[in-house]
Amino acid sequence: MTSTATPLQPPRFWQRWPLLGYVLRRLGTSVLLMLGVTMVTFVLTALVPGDPIAAALGEGAASNPATVAAYVEQHGLDKSIPERYLIYLTNLLQGDLGTSIKTGRPVATELATAVPATIEIALGAIIVSLAVGLTLGTIAAHHRGRATDQVLRVVSLLGLSVPTFWLAIMAYHTFFLRLGVAPGAGRLDPAFTPPPTVTGLYTVDFILGGDPVGFFDALAHLALPVLVLSLFTIGLLTRFIRAAVLEVLDTDYVRAARAKGLPARRVIVAYVLRGASLPILTVVGVAFGVLLSGTVLVEAVYAWPGLGTYAFNSAINLDLPGVMGVGLVVGVIYLVINFAVDLLYGVLDPRVRLA
Amino acid sequence: MLRTSRRTVIALGLGASLALAGCSGGNSSNNTSGGGGEGAGGGTLVIDTAFSLETGDPGRNYVPTGNMMLHAIYDTLLTFEGSAEDEPIPSLATVEQNEDATAFTFTLVEGRTFSDGAPVTADDVVFSLTRVQGITESKANFLMNGISVEKVDDTTVTLTTDGPSLELPAIVTNPALSILNSAAVKENGGTTGEDDAAEDFLGSTSAGSGPYMLDSMDITSRAVLVPNPEYNGEYAPSFDRIVIRNVTESATQLINLQGGDSNLAVDLNGDQVAGLGEGFTVSSSPSAQTIFLLVNQNEEVGKVTANPKFAEAVRYALNYEELLQLAGEGSEQATGVIPPMFLGALDSGVTPDPERAKKALEDSGYDGETISLQFPSDNPVGGVEFTPVAERVQAQLKGIGLAVDLAPAPFATEIEPYVNGTEAFSMWYWGPDFADSSSFLPFGPGEKVGLRAGWEAEDDPEIAELVTAAQDATSVEEREQAMSEYATAMQEEGPFVPLIVPGLNLASDTSVTNVQNNTNWTLDIPLIQPAG
Repeated sequence: MTSTATPLQPPRFWQRWPLLGYVLRRLGTSVLLMLGVTMVTFVLTALVPGDPIAAALGEGAASNPATVAAYVEQHGLDKSIPERYLIYLTNLLQGDLGTSIKTGRPVATELATAVPATIEIALGAIIVSLAVGLTLGTIAAHHRGRATDQVLRVVSLLGLSVPTFWLAIMAYHTFFLRLGVAPGAGRLDPAFTPPPTVTGLYTVDFILGGDPVGFFDALAHLALPVLVLSLFTIGLLTRFIRAAVLEVLDTDYVRAARAKGLPARRVIVAYVLRGASLPILTVVGVAFGVLLSGTVLVEAVYAWPGLGTYAFNSAINLDLPGVMGVGLVVGVIYLVINFAVDLLYGVLDPRVRLA
Repeated sequence: MLRTSRRTVIALGLGASLALAGCSGGNSSNNTSGGGGEGAGGGTLVIDTAFSLETGDPGRNYVPTGNMMLHAIYDTLLTFEGSAEDEPIPSLATVEQNEDATAFTFTLVEGRTFSDGAPVTADDVVFSLTRVQGITESKANFLMNGISVEKVDDTTVTLTTDGPSLELPAIVTNPALSILNSAAVKENGGTTGEDDAAEDFLGSTSAGSGPYMLDSMDITSRAVLVPNPEYNGEYAPSFDRIVIRNVTESATQLINLQGGDSNLAVDLNGDQVAGLGEGFTVSSSPSAQTIFLLVNQNEEVGKVTANPKFAEAVRYALNYEELLQLAGEGSEQATGVIPPMFLGALDSGVTPDPERAKKALEDSGYDGETISLQFPSDNPVGGVEFTPVAERVQAQLKGIGLAVDLAPAPFATEIEPYVNGTEAFSMWYWGPDFADSSSFLPFGPGEKVGLRAGWEAEDDPEIAELVTAAQDATSVEEREQAMSEYATAMQEEGPFVPLIVPGLNLASDTSVTNVQNNTNWTLDIPLIQPAG
């Protein structure tokens, strides 16, 4: 008798390295999505009614044929939309985000200043939101249906409902003007000079530059915008975490842990929060994206020269390269966050990377 | 257990926030790592304004914040001192004109130097002015249109024009035509052609002869000026450091000023300065901007609005005093297309006459149709929001039976139909390119703004002639007469209805004095001094 069994095929690399395969698949999807973002942003921006040249040049210069011609040529505004898109994409692949119609400076240079400023307050806000939201959400779930729970639910609803602009002005008026416990607006006191740029985050750059006084001033200037910005996300996270924790509290393994007499704190940290980590991770990712792309009002009140301010100015001035730059950055931010969240999903839950 | 941890969390959170904030509550101007020129003894001056800053290069600048900053760093051939704008005065040079007002000879004041100690020469003047002509993409390029620059000798330069140009002395006061240290600029990429590459250099340092020097500049957040140690002009620097900050929200500017975080706020509106109270000084005056209604004379665009009687109806239907209530401190009723501080401005504006308005509306052929009033809704001028003004105009016109609906749009969208002359009825604003009445001649028939109202020169040859007469005047007296006649005729027959000249409010604390506004540069920084 001869055996007809086929020899075993060697496993493909993604079978051997499921996590790596998962990462590469997600990376490919992200690149395609990014291409879609550039296309949609470009077309929408190009179709916006209005005259970017007139908006950028103002009355006098817009009636000067030489200046208008120079601007049209410099920004390729005499070419068709598909032509302009191809040029934009080609330049983009070389790291060139175009030149601002308003200022004549590279958009990449302008964003390099604006993005770190926003990242600094958004990071601060997400850290505060997560710490407070996790605490309040867990407490609310733990006291389900009781007075504490009701109070926290109302508080979180308030956080979601208070108009950011009003809150920012009121907080500034109260803590800076009336109580004198907060510093003035901006990223630094007028007496200070910004640190040499390494990351663009003043707090980090001051530390890297060995300037503790500057660091504390930058940190103090972060306090109010961070607190105001985090109020909405505290409300969001508190409610979401409460729901996620409640779901896990009713599971068998948590009941078993409690029946065994484990301390409440240990049950919550080691069993409940761990069980609820995936949905919490998702909402934290979304909240961080919202924080990064939704800071315009807080930035306006606190004279914070970040992405929100840049986006607003680009939009009202019809600065098309600026608007596209912002669109691209926001798109990248969301993709990176989603990618990171998916990656963590894959790390935390083996079923995800094998799916 | 949980109660304890909750208390701990709350205490920690509050404690951390307040500890952080307390680190530098109020001003802490003792620590600075900034360098710069020699001290002037006046400490630090902090100015808050909503930035329109785009560049540190005078030749490429044509925005208000840039003018404000550059006026403190660079000198021009002629200048204005504070709010006195009736006639330019010498800065780096004195001027003499020929009889035809086509040649202006500038003689440099002796001994003036740049911040590196180099003397200011005729070569610097020629380089600086021809450089602006060479940078075609510069917004300021048009200022030098039709002007030839010629060096006579080391201290003399002649500027010539094809026709009479009595406005030339006012033009050269514009900070875009600042005189640069040509040697320093050339060393750093400066040329008089289209290949000039000195903008980056001029964005991080300065090459001027003004009382201050540029220490650092970030066009999104702040510019820092320090004294020019080599300055030998009339307005010696008074402060060790001047920080001009970008604060877009006027509410924040107000809180900063009240809380001592700034010394001067540039963009407070009338209501905000009215509530400032003691301990603050407010300099309120009409700006050089005019908010006006445009009534299109092109029948294809405006239909009924093209009848001159329609504009007359609108002009006499409006209650200007009521409109002025929306504008706040320092604002005035527009008495014509020329604002009050300029040569030829009229003493008084239109007095409402509802009966005349109704009769004119009837004669215009208006038949009850609704007319759209277009305006930019996101671009307040001098603190005056357009939407409430438009609503009040709508209500007042309803009083004579004219139905108006409001069609607001963002500035960037609305400017296109306005510039192209396709708006039938709209509300806009106009500011001068330089501090001179000739900046308001474009309202004439066949001129730039006139054409936006579909108003050709042949539609009103008489006013067109008055425009020409004002342009061709060779003496101040002749010019004043022509400007005044032009403004009067425009109020009687023009397709524009001037409404409001918004106020400019400069609010400062008691630590500074001599705060003056100016059409060209909004705030005259070199004049500001520490109080006491």
